[in-house]
Amino acid sequence: MTAPVMAPDSAPAEASVAPAGADAFRGRNRPPWFVLIPSTAAALVAVAPIWYLVDRAIERGWGEVADELWRDSTRDLIVRSVGLAVAVTASSVAVGVTAAWLVVRSDLAARRVLGVVFALPLAIPSYLAAFAWVSWRPGLAGFGGATLVLTSVSYPFVYLPAAAALRQLDPAQEEVARSLGRRRLDVATRLTLRQIRPAISAGALLVALYVLSDFGAVAAMRYEVFTWVIYGAYRAGFNPSRAAILASVLVVVAMVLVVLEAKARGRAAQSRLGGGAARTGTSVSLGRGSVLAWTFVIAVIGVAIVFPVVRVLQWVATFESTDVVWSDVGRALTSTVSLAVVAGLTTVLIALPVGILAARHRSRTSAAIEGATYVTHALPGIVVAISLVFIGVRLLRPIYQETPLLLLGYVVLFLPLAVGSVRSSIEQSSVRVEEVARSLGCRPMSVVWRVTVPLAAPGLAASGALVMLSTMKELPVTLILRPTETNTLATELWRFTSVSDYANAGPYALALVVFAAIPTALLSMAGSTRTQESSRG
Amino acid sequence: MADPTGMQPGGMQPGDSAGATSPALEIRGVTKSFGHHLVLAGVDLVVPARSVTAVLGPSGGGKTTLLRIVAGFDHPDSGTVTIDGEIVAHGAGGRAPEERRVGVVPQEGALFPHLSVAGNVGFGLRRHDRRAREARVAEVLELVGLSGTERKRPHELSGGMQHRVALARALAPHPAIVMLDEPFSSLDAGLRAHVRAEVLDALRASGATAVIVTHDQLEALSIADQVAVLLDGRIAQVATPSEVYRFPTTLAVGTFVGEAVVLRGELLRASASGAEMVIRARCALGDLPISPVGTSSAQHEHHEHLAPGTVLDVLVRPEQLILSSHRDGAERAEPAEGAEGVVIGRQYYGHDAVVSVRLRSGAVVTARLQTTLLPDTGDTVRVRAAGSVAAFPSREG
Amino acid sequence: MRSVAALLASATFVACSSGESASSGPSDTGGPSDTGGPSDTGGPSDTGGPSDTGAPSAGEITVYSGRSLELVEPIIDQFTEETGISVGLRGGDSGELAAQLLTEGDASPADVFFSQDAGALGAVGDAGLFATLPDDLVSVVPAELRSTENLWVGTSGRVRVFVINPELAPDPPTTIDELLDPRWKGAIGFAPNNASWQSFVTGLRVLRGEDGARTWLEGFAAQDPVPFENNVAVRDAVNDSEIAIGLVNHYYLYEKIATEGADAVTAVNQFLSAGDPGGLLNVAGVGVLASSKNTDEALQLVAFLLGETAQRYFADETFEYPVARGIAASPLAPALDTLEPPTIDLADLDSIAETQELLADVGLLTR
Repeated sequence: MTAPVMAPDSAPAEASVAPAGADAFRGRNRPPWFVLIPSTAAALVAVAPIWYLVDRAIERGWGEVADELWRDSTRDLIVRSVGLAVAVTASSVAVGVTAAWLVVRSDLAARRVLGVVFALPLAIPSYLAAFAWVSWRPGLAGFGGATLVLTSVSYPFVYLPAAAALRQLDPAQEEVARSLGRRRLDVATRLTLRQIRPAISAGALLVALYVLSDFGAVAAMRYEVFTWVIYGAYRAGFNPSRAAILASVLVVVAMVLVVLEAKARGRAAQSRLGGGAARTGTSVSLGRGSVLAWTFVIAVIGVAIVFPVVRVLQWVATFESTDVVWSDVGRALTSTVSLAVVAGLTTVLIALPVGILAARHRSRTSAAIEGATYVTHALPGIVVAISLVFIGVRLLRPIYQETPLLLLGYVVLFLPLAVGSVRSSIEQSSVRVEEVARSLGCRPMSVVWRVTVPLAAPGLAASGALVMLSTMKELPVTLILRPTETNTLATELWRFTSVSDYANAGPYALALVVFAAIPTALLSMAGSTRTQESSRG
Repeated sequence: MADPTGMQPGGMQPGDSAGATSPALEIRGVTKSFGHHLVLAGVDLVVPARSVTAVLGPSGGGKTTLLRIVAGFDHPDSGTVTIDGEIVAHGAGGRAPEERRVGVVPQEGALFPHLSVAGNVGFGLRRHDRRAREARVAEVLELVGLSGTERKRPHELSGGMQHRVALARALAPHPAIVMLDEPFSSLDAGLRAHVRAEVLDALRASGATAVIVTHDQLEALSIADQVAVLLDGRIAQVATPSEVYRFPTTLAVGTFVGEAVVLRGELLRASASGAEMVIRARCALGDLPISPVGTSSAQHEHHEHLAPGTVLDVLVRPEQLILSSHRDGAERAEPAEGAEGVVIGRQYYGHDAVVSVRLRSGAVVTARLQTTLLPDTGDTVRVRAAGSVAAFPSREG
Repeated sequence: MRSVAALLASATFVACSSGESASSGPSDTGGPSDTGGPSDTGGPSDTGGPSDTGAPSAGEITVYSGRSLELVEPIIDQFTEETGISVGLRGGDSGELAAQLLTEGDASPADVFFSQDAGALGAVGDAGLFATLPDDLVSVVPAELRSTENLWVGTSGRVRVFVINPELAPDPPTTIDELLDPRWKGAIGFAPNNASWQSFVTGLRVLRGEDGARTWLEGFAAQDPVPFENNVAVRDAVNDSEIAIGLVNHYYLYEKIATEGADAVTAVNQFLSAGDPGGLLNVAGVGVLASSKNTDEALQLVAFLLGETAQRYFADETFEYPVARGIAASPLAPALDTLEPPTIDLADLDSIAETQELLADVGLLTR
């Protein structure tokens, strides 16, 4: 996303050490057509909602736009939204990195199991978690409650890449640093954190964009941020034009975040040149700190998983679920899973060229293309949904409210989730290996299929799993774009909770959490198995 | 491989058909810069078919860039690369890497970690003809001495074995040239000589044309048929290993390819010695004959055009220096021969030793000696040089 | 088979509807009632007729429903059974569906919009997306419960009440101003996110003006009312003696009585004094899209929703007030004509955005 990480001044003097990065950037960095064209198309699809936003925003003239933006309330909204995003991102980084370090580098008991468990909150929809809390203690509503819930559902976005990056670190560097007289904490902050910074900042970006776009948690917690007002403009104000103007502000905020993230990621990210993986580090003995560590583990798991799940189980148990139509649950489950699988595959397939472009052909253009896939990720689901209505009825009327358009909606929503993960997994495999394949007579496109994709397979699987579980939880786009007779677990859950029918909602909530937990578990396992295999050598 | 000759029966080298006269690789005027940094400043190099050529240069000297340009991973800014008579690179244009038939063995081997050894070696072979592919895989694995490892995974092999698999993979599709990038630098010293010998045997047995890029002088001198010294972005000299060592074309080549003592001197008038003209240089070690006419070295002719008294840099190899103790041999030695000095230090290597001597003139020379009779530090010794030396007009003079 | 029939039907009505849009108002109302028997007779008992005669009116329509599907589905199934017209039902939030309809414009696949409240219907009507409903079809509904231009019609009503715990509030307030009595401090529950609560405040703004509304809301906020996630939670808190008074719609209590039995329920509904803004009557309603190519089937659905079967269903199953003349409310609820809700034009309830700003301003909406 940034300008090339291998800056011209750092590389050329020593071509035999850093040829791939430096040379590729210089000379033959022109991406092949089968990478450039699809990734440009993917970027265009991703930014398509902006067409709608602009069209709607200026519908009532620029005066209206200016009036809307010039209000004090708009400034307050920016402060509140950004404030919430900052708070949740900071606490997610703290929780996510701590969890990653405990799982990867400490001698904590059962860390293999914990490695999977820490990722599971991804399976819990924010609206479900928020409702679980606020229906228990209405007083939690507000900034604190929103921060708690959003952190508890989104810290895995930091935890997963941070854990993967920690596994990749060469422990020799830490050992050298300690031998040079650095204390352990010093090493952790100066060396280790700095090295996994690209992973942390990529995860933090996703958290921040997630917070900006989330409605479920802030609605239940009654915290007035942009999404709250945007939904209000649709639901109560019947004023799509106002919603579009405010949503445009979110896009601008997202652009700023994307640029900031690129800077924060720094120059550390780069293509691997070496062959094998580094050996796995020795685990740090926690000693007395293990009490503290277990307090952390129990607190995080208790808040993020146990509490919401127990609440759901309570609904199932307390209410007489006699009139639950189990065949309907089954049908909703089937369509949810099949939509999620197809959405996962489609999104990864579309993310692949973007990931290749971002990892292998760094330039301003590729940075712009990758960044473009992120900017609409800050948009609330309802805005993406209505914008796809806008595009659907104009350009794609034959598939309007048909499965293909719904899938397109999922692609727009979740492309950034896949792009980041695909990019980093391609960055982790060696450029040299691809070059060797070329010299063995393999054409560029077949290098992708015979070398790049198999090597990045765990990362591709992980990003597919991430898209799958996100698709399962997704509500607004599904509700508005689905084929008329298609119900998913999320839409059925909404249908019953919207009339406070928890007896019927319970089974859907439970099925949703359980089945979203499956790809989540795969996701965290994909990261750890990869390292185990390559570190064996 | 895109080229249909990829699977010629019997492993015959495609270069054969081109005949002995046509070089396997010809590089003409290749330049390449990164930003303002000129890495290759017009490289010319001819690699004869079936030979092993070492491209020797300092780290960061553009060796790898040259390899990447030949392989097609990079484009030259100008110049051409010709493989088997076909121009494959012409400035920014040219053939894609997959169409060049250049086998590459990268520094770390870069095996495909997701494929077995057989999968790696057979990667460049045609995919549909399974039996022929398996036969060729077995053939090249035998060549590199790794028969029976087909089903292993790269991470199950030692570093040396991985290297040989990488070589087998590069050889399998019968490339026009195999290029090895610092192939042995990642191996430890004990293993290196062994792997080097094995790889070289395999290369020679395959009849392939090989280019080995290295910064290691000993490696280049010991394995190559010809050594190309790449200095300051140009090929400073291409010759057999002994010629490069004994008759370097420039002072820089001379000091780069081996240890050297460089003394300031001046050119003497040519004098007849039998039928030959002998040109001598006068330096701190006395009057030393400059390498005689008759070698292929161009320097001698050059010297004939220089005026007597021209200031020279005289290059003496440490093993040319002979030390004699003042006590036992001083009277017998002719006074004019050699120079007196004091031993100021010595390093002991077991098989030999290096002794530093400060001459009366103030110059310090190092001599490589047998370890049987070593002078002590502080001893006064007489130093003289055996054989002819290389000399170059001094830039400072 | 069905799709062929639908094609034929739509082909027929394309011609029909395009003729309508070219001509002026009167023929609009005339056309559909001529082709579809049931709407002109208006009698709910007659709605069965067309399906008996068979194919001609059997078709397929798409309904966007802002009303909960759990509520709507059973009655729609009944409609399909009676008329043979199959219905594609798409659920969603009323406001979001309105936004969807506004975005779709003429290309909308929807034939009918069934909304939870009048505001969303007003927005779609204002955009010119609704066809005018035949007068004789909607005249069964009192004029104050439908659009003045007949662009949409109410299908059922709900009244704001105080649900009270008789032990904690033996002498309950009957006006919103009595609610501000210090003895109710901390004893009132409400659902700040609930649309009906916000509609009540909107009505308050209309009836008392901005300043009057703000004054009352500030007084209300000073009472430290307890916020709940939704009306069900408010009702249950009253019933469980956690709080004395809850601000909810009238039917929540009856739902509880119906599911748990009268013995299990201690809470009672306190209807408000005549004309008090707290006793607002709001409606759910329906409109037919002008872009519909199945206008006839759509009108049949409207007729059905205003017919006896559906009206009784709303009264008995959801405990809402039926709006068609001559249909009695649930025996649990007092008759609508015994209540005297404040007089207000429902179309004026569309400024909920401003209401939310006011609520946020006095600290009653967000935290």
